[in-house]
Amino acid sequence: MNRAKIMIVDDDPELRLALKLRLRANHYDTVSACDGYSAIALAQKERPNLILLDLGLPAGDGYVVLKRLQDSDALSDIPVIVLTARDPQANEDRTLQAGAAAFFQKPADNHELLEVIQATLRNQAAASSLPS
Amino acid sequence: MTDQATHVLLIEDNPGDADLVRLRLVEGKTPVHVDCFNRLAEGLASLGQSSPSLILLDLNLPDSHGSETFRKVLDQAPDVPIVILSGQEDEALALKAVHQGVQDYLVKGDITSKHLERAMRYAVERQGLLRSLEISRKQQLEFKNRFLSHVSHELRTPLTCIHQYVSLLYDGLSGPVTPEQHDHLSTILKSVNQLHAMIRDLLEATRAETGKIRIEQRCVALGDLLQQAVVMMQAAAQQKNVGLEIAFDRRLPLVYADPDRVLEVLLNLIDNAIKFTPSEGSVVVKACLVEADPESVYISVTDTGPGISAEAVPLIFERLYQNPEQIDGNRNGLGLGLYIAQQLVTLHGGRIWVTSQPGDGSTFSFTLPFYSLAKLLLPVITEQQRLRNSFVLVRVALTSPTQPARGNWRGVCQQALQILRRCVYIDKDLVLPPMGASATEENLFVVASTDMEHVNIMLNRIRGQLESSVESLPAEAAQVTAVPLKLPPAAESDSLEQQVQRVADCVTETILRDLGCKQDFPPKVNDKNADGE
Repeated sequence: MNRAKIMIVDDDPELRLALKLRLRANHYDTVSACDGYSAIALAQKERPNLILLDLGLPAGDGYVVLKRLQDSDALSDIPVIVLTARDPQANEDRTLQAGAAAFFQKPADNHELLEVIQATLRNQAAASSLPS
Repeated sequence: MTDQATHVLLIEDNPGDADLVRLRLVEGKTPVHVDCFNRLAEGLASLGQSSPSLILLDLNLPDSHGSETFRKVLDQAPDVPIVILSGQEDEALALKAVHQGVQDYLVKGDITSKHLERAMRYAVERQGLLRSLEISRKQQLEFKNRFLSHVSHELRTPLTCIHQYVSLLYDGLSGPVTPEQHDHLSTILKSVNQLHAMIRDLLEATRAETGKIRIEQRCVALGDLLQQAVVMMQAAAQQKNVGLEIAFDRRLPLVYADPDRVLEVLLNLIDNAIKFTPSEGSVVVKACLVEADPESVYISVTDTGPGISAEAVPLIFERLYQNPEQIDGNRNGLGLGLYIAQQLVTLHGGRIWVTSQPGDGSTFSFTLPFYSLAKLLLPVITEQQRLRNSFVLVRVALTSPTQPARGNWRGVCQQALQILRRCVYIDKDLVLPPMGASATEENLFVVASTDMEHVNIMLNRIRGQLESSVESLPAEAAQVTAVPLKLPPAAESDSLEQQVQRVADCVTETILRDLGCKQDFPPKVNDKNADGE
């Protein structure tokens, strides 16, 4: 079976690297983007199976990215997990309503995050194998 | 240059006194416009239409007496200065009035126009000062809140980086580590987690202060929460060699609470208890009912730690309080945990307190209200102490368009709930607390004080909004239906409470029938007024 590809979107290069190492150690392929604009471009090119999205981003913040993804026929099926330092009280419901599959506040527990990534990918696979 | 006339609301039932006051007002230098009412209800009603600069208030009116009179006015118009005009001198009552927010207390017989004018002017000034103090207090709190929210966001970013890289090392993903290095890394990770918890508490405490903590109360099985909390804390207890047990009556009624917040309170209390209990000691979590208080569940966490000195007991829920006798020399944290716990319990309408014998452990207890459908229904299905005429139960059945649910099912349910709340009349319809979405289904209910002829408007509004606002929910995934509630005939001797209870029972039965479930659905079990066995 092919390895799932996860796109990391975060403007902090150190954190991108740490997440990449963590995800690769768990047998995922990764690609990364550092701002909202390149996130959309890269998503179109790479078609990742899941996106790990920060909210505070240059060139289109996380909400803009969520909206663009939702509006695109080709990309709206890609599940998005939000990983942000922002306040959950102000952002969790809002991101979920904007189409995110899950919300984590930084620093997130790695085991929990990996579990949710796995579950989300599994759901995604089950849903896309259904006849539509 | 013309001064605008001062608008005075005079509430006075004695025509002679009213004329006298008017005369005194007219004699004064400032132009005055007076509206006079001889009943409190009429005076209060007029406040809805216009807002006077000042209220002159007689205390003994046909429809209200004594301190009750000014309390009602204060409730309705907290920002308008009130000067009491009383028939007799009563120093105690005057002080009480001023303590509660009244600006002045004058005795009618003693009033001269100069005296009255001066009292009114100063009352207006004092009220204005109070208001601006209050505004500036709120602004400062708001600033503090924003500042802390900003700081906590900025602190989290480097903390996340530390956390990620240390855990890469700790998990051996950057190469092998020696057992000693592993220990050191574990210490760093623990400290990072402490720092993380402090940042969270800091923000939460400020929020509590500014009244910005949100709780979403629903119908909750408390036993499950207690068990969850104990499971989550078991590792910490074992590490310290402290026993952690749980004891509760299986027949505990359901509570009306926010499960996440109650869990937060429980974790906080259990964490504290473990922290203060020496090795070989024990922590017991209990929940029970108390005869003297028939509307609450009592939850307690008891430890065998050193106890709390009598002087510390009243201080322990204060912000930033830290126990000077902490036994294991461990770091204390910010001293915000119990303060936050207290705020959360209070928001639920409960109480929290501690009992302790120095040398003999402590017990932290708190209460949570029962889930009572009747209590929630009372204000919306009654009008002027009478039951409204007819009721309809509206059901919104949501089914996830995909199996298993994909993406954000919980968010969709939450959004639907908000739409329902927007679509009802809040003074006569009640959106029932959600019963918890299953993995792919959720049922939301509204008890509406209307009949089948009129309910269609509401149904169409709900359908329309669900369709236009919840994009990820196709029309066939949301079924909006309504059934009339068939109430058993009421006995004439029934009290209003009994009548409301009957509606609550009928709602419960209808929901159970509707859902086709045989399980013990919440309300029936806990409604203390339920008839019979």
